Amino acid sequence: MEVKVKLYGILRKYGEGKFDRGDNIIIPEKFPLRDLISYLDIPERLGKICLVNGYPQDVEYKLSEGDEVKILTVLGGG
Amino acid sequence: MDKLVYGYSGKQLRISLDSGKVSVESINPQVLRKYIGGAGYGARILYDELQKGIDPLSKANKLIFATSPLSLNQIPGGGCVIVCFKSPLTNAWSESKCGSDFGPELKRAGYDAVIIEGRSENPVYIVINDEDIAIKPAEHLTGKSISEKIKMIREELGDQKISVMCIGPAGEKLVKIAVALSDQRAAGRCGVGAVMGSKNLMGIAVKGSKKVRVAQPERLKEAIKKAMKVVRKNEVAAGFKEHGTTGEMIANDAAGDWPTKNWQSNHWGKAEEIYNEFYNKYLIKNHACYRGCPIACGRVAEVKEGKYKTAVHEGCEYESLSAFTAFVLNENVEAAIQASYLCNEYGIDTISAGAIIAFAMECYEHGVIKKKDIGDLDLSWGNPAALSEMIRLISMREGLGDILAEGVKTASKILGKGSEKFAIHGKGLEAPAHDPRSGKALAVTYGTANRGMCHIHPLEGMAYDSGKFDFGLVKYGLVDPNTIHRWDEKGKGKSVKILQDGLIVPDILSTCKFFLYAGLTIDNYADMLSALTGWEIDGRELLKVGERVINLQRLFNIREGFNRDDDLIPERVRQRPSFGIYQDEPRCVIKDYEGMLNEYYEARGWDLITGKPSKDKLRELGLEEE
Repeated sequence: MEVKVKLYGILRKYGEGKFDRGDNIIIPEKFPLRDLISYLDIPERLGKICLVNGYPQDVEYKLSEGDEVKILTVLGGG
Repeated sequence: MDKLVYGYSGKQLRISLDSGKVSVESINPQVLRKYIGGAGYGARILYDELQKGIDPLSKANKLIFATSPLSLNQIPGGGCVIVCFKSPLTNAWSESKCGSDFGPELKRAGYDAVIIEGRSENPVYIVINDEDIAIKPAEHLTGKSISEKIKMIREELGDQKISVMCIGPAGEKLVKIAVALSDQRAAGRCGVGAVMGSKNLMGIAVKGSKKVRVAQPERLKEAIKKAMKVVRKNEVAAGFKEHGTTGEMIANDAAGDWPTKNWQSNHWGKAEEIYNEFYNKYLIKNHACYRGCPIACGRVAEVKEGKYKTAVHEGCEYESLSAFTAFVLNENVEAAIQASYLCNEYGIDTISAGAIIAFAMECYEHGVIKKKDIGDLDLSWGNPAALSEMIRLISMREGLGDILAEGVKTASKILGKGSEKFAIHGKGLEAPAHDPRSGKALAVTYGTANRGMCHIHPLEGMAYDSGKFDFGLVKYGLVDPNTIHRWDEKGKGKSVKILQDGLIVPDILSTCKFFLYAGLTIDNYADMLSALTGWEIDGRELLKVGERVINLQRLFNIREGFNRDDDLIPERVRQRPSFGIYQDEPRCVIKDYEGMLNEYYEARGWDLITGKPSKDKLRELGLEEE
């Protein structure tokens, strides 16, 4: 199945070569967010905030066909 | 030569504005070893020299401009100065940090600190040029904007490069959220501009030509090289360089770390379009606040034409752009940029200004403030045209602005009619643009920060909870942030204690805090400090100094009558957001703040009921005589 993924800020440099079509990535059914993050080579040490279809989800969340995923990291310094 | 004066001049300047007397005093090396400088040295001086209960706007208050051995342009983050004083906004301990060449120039002029006391009969400004100190008349500067004052002082002195710190018209009118700006960077919080104004002090210009004596030059060179290598490779530093602090808006909005509509929510969903418009249309370039900064996170922006036109200026920072968009539900980016620009010209704190306008908008919505009270101004949520006029009214203390210029805590008491629940502050300091409902460590930070509800003195807890920054403190007992969840409450009180002890270190060293986000640790700074001074000081000792200073600042506040009640945070900040994507998230609420506070007090060795440090704790920190 396909999901649409957008990375923000300092995360944009990750995931090179992992996108299958534009912003889309083909993943197995019920693929957890945690595994998607790992697949994109985003380091464990960076704090992540994930929105799926506009709503915050924990990394255990299992993705569905056509989901729109945004992955961001909070710096908290400003 | 006593090796303890390496890295220091060992001298401070004391200027009495009452008499015009200027004296150079020696600093006790033992005090330097115990408090180092910056907010540490300032705390020691203020605690010793201020009488309990003084009016912060009376001549009895003092301004301490403090540096440290690391206040050098070549040190990563070395371009800062800390100003310490009793706040007219909170009546508590206050420190305000400003990034510019002012600190390094003061250091090169041969002074570790400047103490300004008394009150001049007429407006003046001070010029410090090595041993030449002058107090000059400044009647002609009154009423001028900050940028005009800085320009006029430089022209008078015939020196376009001299570092100048000034107040604006708001400081002259004793607006309690008034700032002082050095070049275009603000010592922004707690009303330092009002204290300068109360002393009839319009500004200070400083220039130095001396060299700082270094105990171990080769070691210092290596320590700086090592630190710079870390910063240059760090992806967060690169992010700050490209996007500044403003770039955090999108992630914070998504994370529920973006207080919206006067804290009715923690998410708005508009940050991405607001930030993209700012970045693509109005941002000109990045800018370093001091010579030599390898990050250069400052922004330079301009609105070229139209109703919200501005000059080319430094701005906006994350806090400013958030305060004039999310706080007040304003989607007009040009109006927000202009609001930030006007705050810098009038000389008021952008965070407090945005918070006060949000408070006023909510009062207007509920009929506490009526249209006739504000010259028929429409104070509806999101009205971009209201921003510039409200900033003018507050800065000039005109009409309702005279009440709002006191800050939300006092204004809500004057206005009454239930407006107290719209006043979002801690100890009287208006809350900034980070939301502890989405990262609970921040709740304890907000409650216990000595200068009030502050996101960065000593630390911004969201970086730990959501950003997973450990700042190199795990080896000193901090729980690894990757093993905790941002929604957790248990354990956060203990973590905040260690985080505060570590992250107050840049305030004590008078260095920029962002370098800890850029990969440096207190161990890096201990190495540089050791090389400069000849002391052998390590990260653990710096942590102990941090703890000592936090306790001394706490003692200052206790002497002023503060207690556990003042460590509470507003009810609205603990409650579930009333709209936005976290509205239905059951964990997005602070369930047991008192429990977190107890845990923090226990970690600190403070009495659970009074919040006072125990005698054993004071003895351990060498503060037993207080």
